[in-house]
Amino acid sequence: MTEPFTRRGAEVRVRLDPEARDVLATLPELLARSGNAGGRLTYRVHPEDTAAEERYRDLVGDALDDLRNADRTAFARGVGESTISLEDAEVWMRVIGEARLALAAMLGIEKDGWENDADPRQSPEMALLSYLGYLQDRLVSVLP
Amino acid sequence: MTVAPNQIDLPDTSETYEVDRAWQVVVWNDPVNLMSYVVWVFRKLFGHSLEQATRLMLQVHNQGRAIVSSGPLEKAELDCHRLHHHGLWATLERA
Repeated sequence: MTEPFTRRGAEVRVRLDPEARDVLATLPELLARSGNAGGRLTYRVHPEDTAAEERYRDLVGDALDDLRNADRTAFARGVGESTISLEDAEVWMRVIGEARLALAAMLGIEKDGWENDADPRQSPEMALLSYLGYLQDRLVSVLP
Repeated sequence: MTVAPNQIDLPDTSETYEVDRAWQVVVWNDPVNLMSYVVWVFRKLFGHSLEQATRLMLQVHNQGRAIVSSGPLEKAELDCHRLHHHGLWATLERA
């Protein structure tokens, strides 16, 4: 199997067929539909202290949502490219990771070991979760 | 601009150290994020070596949680925010 990502200095070469790119292009929409992915994208910083949590939320405002939206926009812009920067490769890593969290929420995955019984033929969501795991792992392998 | 002093007096208490160590950033286990990804995040955000990042990742996986950084509240909250941006489950607690 051809490696989907190879590093060339400060760039990453992307080798994905058009069908795979079409699937990846749907991730921003998938994330927009999934909201906070069953709470997996809105963790509390001070879970034991309501006042401290409110102060933190007031401090950061929408910063995390803004960062994620910027990631998704950059990802959508670059998903058809054959070469991406290391910075964009990190964006890909985060968007793919978020999509995996959203898919896991849809599938009701809550405990370790689920992958032992996972069958990509089980559902489109499980197939995509497995494929994105493969892509993310290969991307990790080429990043510094 | 100013020049560096030739001599400074060190404080005779450990108060600064206690303030600097007041908060810990805890990463919790989740069943979805890849081990290889978590190691990469720890190395990228905190500059850990591969060995140190792998040890912390395994601690999260096997024991359910690990302390990945510590410091004053502002730094700890920023670290937490960056971990959340990378999709990891992180919270703060007092040291």
